[in-house]
Amino acid sequence: MLSYALRRIAVVLITLLAASAIVFAVLEIVPGDPARLMLGMNAGEDAIAALREQMGLNQPLLIRYFSWLGGLLSGDFGRSYTYSVPVIDLVRERLVVSLPLALMALFLSTAIAIPVGIFSASRRGTASDAGVMAATQLGIAIPNFWFALLLVYVFAVTLRLVPAGGFPGWQAGFWPALASLLLPAIALALPQAAILSRVTRSALLDVMGEDYIRTARAKGLPANIVLWRHALRNALIPVLTILGLQFSFLLAGTIIIENVFYLPGLGRLVFQAITQRDLIVVESVVVLLVATVIIVNFLVDLAYAWADPRLRRR
Amino acid sequence: MEEELIALEHEDWRHFTRKAFTNRSFLAGALITAVVVAVALFSFAWTPYDVTKLVIADRLQSPNAAHWFGTDHFGRDILSMIMVGSRNSIAVALIAVGIGIAVGVPLGCWAAAKRGLADEVLMRASDIVFAFPALLSAVMITAIFGPGIVNAIIAIGIFNIPVFARVARGGALALWPREFVLAARASGKRAGLITVQHILPNIANLLLVQGTIQFSLGILAEAGLSYVGLGTQPPAPSWGRMLFEAQTMMTIAPHMAIVPGLAIIVTVLGLNLLGDGLRDVLDPRLRRQR
Amino acid sequence: MTGPVLEIENLSLSIGRHAILKDVDLTVRAGEVVGLVGESGSGKSMTALTVMGLLPHAARTAGSVRFIGEDLLSATEDRLCDLRGDDIGMVFQEPMTALNPVKTIGEQVAEGIRWHTGANRPEAESRARAILARVGLPEEKFPLSRYPHELSGGQRQRVVIAIACALHPKLLIADEPTTALDVVLQAQILDLLRELVAENDMGLILISHDLGVVADMADRIAILRRGEVQEAGETASVLREQKHPYTRALAEASTHVPAWANAATPPGDEHRLLELENVARHYPGHRKGLFGRGEPVRAVDGVGFSVRAGHSVALVGQSGCGKSTLARMILALDRPTSGKIVFDGMETSALGERALRPARREMQVVFQDPYGSFDPRQKIETSVAEPLHLMDERMGRREKRERVTEALVEVGMTPADRDKYPHEFSGGQRQRLAIARAIITRPKLVVADEPVSALDVSIRAQILDLFAKLNDDLGLAFLFITHDLTVARAITHDVLVMDHGKIVETGKTSTVLDHPQTDVTRRLIAAAPDLQRAITRRLTAG
Repeated sequence: MLSYALRRIAVVLITLLAASAIVFAVLEIVPGDPARLMLGMNAGEDAIAALREQMGLNQPLLIRYFSWLGGLLSGDFGRSYTYSVPVIDLVRERLVVSLPLALMALFLSTAIAIPVGIFSASRRGTASDAGVMAATQLGIAIPNFWFALLLVYVFAVTLRLVPAGGFPGWQAGFWPALASLLLPAIALALPQAAILSRVTRSALLDVMGEDYIRTARAKGLPANIVLWRHALRNALIPVLTILGLQFSFLLAGTIIIENVFYLPGLGRLVFQAITQRDLIVVESVVVLLVATVIIVNFLVDLAYAWADPRLRRR
Repeated sequence: MEEELIALEHEDWRHFTRKAFTNRSFLAGALITAVVVAVALFSFAWTPYDVTKLVIADRLQSPNAAHWFGTDHFGRDILSMIMVGSRNSIAVALIAVGIGIAVGVPLGCWAAAKRGLADEVLMRASDIVFAFPALLSAVMITAIFGPGIVNAIIAIGIFNIPVFARVARGGALALWPREFVLAARASGKRAGLITVQHILPNIANLLLVQGTIQFSLGILAEAGLSYVGLGTQPPAPSWGRMLFEAQTMMTIAPHMAIVPGLAIIVTVLGLNLLGDGLRDVLDPRLRRQR
Repeated sequence: MTGPVLEIENLSLSIGRHAILKDVDLTVRAGEVVGLVGESGSGKSMTALTVMGLLPHAARTAGSVRFIGEDLLSATEDRLCDLRGDDIGMVFQEPMTALNPVKTIGEQVAEGIRWHTGANRPEAESRARAILARVGLPEEKFPLSRYPHELSGGQRQRVVIAIACALHPKLLIADEPTTALDVVLQAQILDLLRELVAENDMGLILISHDLGVVADMADRIAILRRGEVQEAGETASVLREQKHPYTRALAEASTHVPAWANAATPPGDEHRLLELENVARHYPGHRKGLFGRGEPVRAVDGVGFSVRAGHSVALVGQSGCGKSTLARMILALDRPTSGKIVFDGMETSALGERALRPARREMQVVFQDPYGSFDPRQKIETSVAEPLHLMDERMGRREKRERVTEALVEVGMTPADRDKYPHEFSGGQRQRLAIARAIITRPKLVVADEPVSALDVSIRAQILDLFAKLNDDLGLAFLFITHDLTVARAITHDVLVMDHGKIVETGKTSTVLDHPQTDVTRRLIAAAPDLQRAITRRLTAG
């Protein structure tokens, strides 16, 4: 188990390194001089040259990559070209919006999907199963940002139950802040829940056809007990895979959803940075999100090994 | 001997059609998809109104006899815009799937045939691509290289490559130890020829099903990109763009948001139903092979 | 005389419009073994599932199934759950998939005990420990914390038996419990079942396609065909008298020896067609720690032998002895780690794919699984013609077609079969087609990996006849890879016995099988089910 984890960590580190190199390379080939951008159109050539020197832009590519990487590791993400504040501060104040949003959405979608999937699988072929499956089919097809617009229209504009957008900040109190994240989280979670519940159902049904389920039935366990004790844990393996992937979807989804709800999260930060060509901010946020995805998937891998003893010895 | 090999039965055409015509998912999905494609093609020949002409006098009309789906804030006919917009959605998604298949399938088949280092490198590379949340990276690519339909296609297409590579690899890996492939090897056939003659025909079903899934994801992704202003550029109508413009009109003209949303939902639903139906109609057992 | 544990009367079963069972009668008494014999599709497994109450939902039953007087067909699901695993146990065919991969064997054995007796965990575990020890998995070597994947097929089947017998059921149903195992393991499992029957005075229904196994085990047998009992009675008298034509046909097929003109004198010019010198194949060991690996697995470990032209040779051994790995190396589908394989004067183990072509032309293969042998998307003509790819001159369509026709006729199929797809044929027919593909290039050697072990006995007899005919007509040399000594006896001149990657005994088939020199061979022979021997034993005992 330990050596499995160590080998996975090695793979994770290599993946992180490769991903960061890709981000760095992509932004390196972007046209436009950051120093010129920072100083604006009217700056003199001397000032630009001096700033380039100061920012280390004249150094060789590899050196710049490693010093950037070293900075990332020590929490120094550099300074924003447009705001002239450390990127880490920008990220930190946005993260307190985006992270709770993604986690809330993940929690909601899991909490809805797994019971629904189990319910549907245990009533396979019945009208309630068919109804749930039709609803999930629809749920997958709904774009989350459209669903978000609809939620705003119904709950904020028409019913006036929640604010239509914006974020009061956590200092305004826990509940108001949470309430302003509720609609965005639901908009993100429901389409994901639709996918996840379908996966849960089909994984369970696949497992229910296995020989060892028959063995368990032959022991005298009733069908529903067999489902809980034997099928669920085996069905968890594909469900975990999808959960890992979903986290990545949710992170990307927040970027768009934050725009619908005017939430000051990472997504909005990225968009503003893109329009202002504040590439160091883009770079940092993308690397941060990619690193999160890689680490989440690593945790999913460890969860696999917990769920499936056959993996522990590999 | 220890594992009971499941016979992969050939489905001849008659058998296929009979199953297809009794599968409701397949029928509904095929019908919806056909209608959407037909509408897109038809829009080249005729639309109820000219979508490039702004008729301010007619703006923000609710659905009525003259404008079935109403008009937008510039007085353009929404039905006509939906029709023209479907072209972009379909074109972007289809070409992106094409990129995924054209690059991913050969890579996946190659990795399965070679195994070892080639396989390992391909899998790790696809892990790296998967680590970039697809939409985020599409946003990044279109933002850096400029918004527009071509960059949107490339951005979506790149993320289809590892998907198809993995599906092809998985299917091919299950086939390589099969006895009919061993027999082909004993007949002196090289990996390339075996891949063409035996592997590809037997994974075609898997790829077709995955193709419809990626197609529908592509439609959603294009809509998302256009919604944030990075996909199809105005004045060309696009479903995502229409939603963006509807956002500020939500209180006075909700139909502006509802109609394009429904267009997306119907299209994606049709493709998903088609994919599910195909999976059942075509060989469902291939999935369960180890 | 004890009363019957199980009485099945006029049991009929249908699923949709298909009648699966028709008026089946069967009685099992305590301490008695009843054999249920039939070929595939005879309905024997469905009979077992009916008793267990585990039939598919669409199944409709009629008649009566009484367990110690209680009607099972009308019993509620709750009542059936009480009986299953407590009073009625069941053992299945596939030990590799019959256990839950994510639970330890201790949990899986103790689960039924806890469910039925309400015992607490330590109690249930100590009982699980006892029953596992009883089935041959003592705790010192097989702690309760083992997972199924850490056990071999035979060991897993012992766990399944432990689950089924943990609560001393009055009736045990074993559905082909040894079909997936090799003969030596089969004999061990059958011995275990026999002992458990005697110890617990339970009734056992032993379901099998193998008349030899049943003859050896069962007090009474019932022969099932297409859902109907053809004949039933005391094993010894049924099998001695063979009154029913189907019984006779089955018995003949299982002891079938093909008419083989070359049986005594192999054809050919006696030159060494295939020679192996000190061939070894090692696989890297299991990973240990971050970088280390365990000892390499020596699947084949220094093997040398030769096959002469026109000779038919059997390579026999238990599963896992390395015989299939060896076959793959001979076929140049895998390369030896060391050593030399020379075929027809070419050192195939050193040649690249292009240089192998002449060798491949002279050496073809027939696999065990007639279902997996053909690409489901290709017509028979394309598949059978595939080895013609090896011919030096390019063949026209017409010529290819003629060659395919010729090969099909040779194996007893018709020219019209060219245009069909594999799924249109039965298992036996597919195996004929596989043989047609193997002989189409007129090779000198055909390697056949367990070519009849997936077939019903009657089909198997026909395929053995076909091999004999091909040796007679074409002077083809054969290498049969098998764990089944009756195949070796029926159709080979020489035999090689393999064990743990090494050849331990070689010689003329009759000499080796009648006068084995090594323990390995003796063990194989003793374990092999033998119908004649079993009948004789029953008669002398009774």
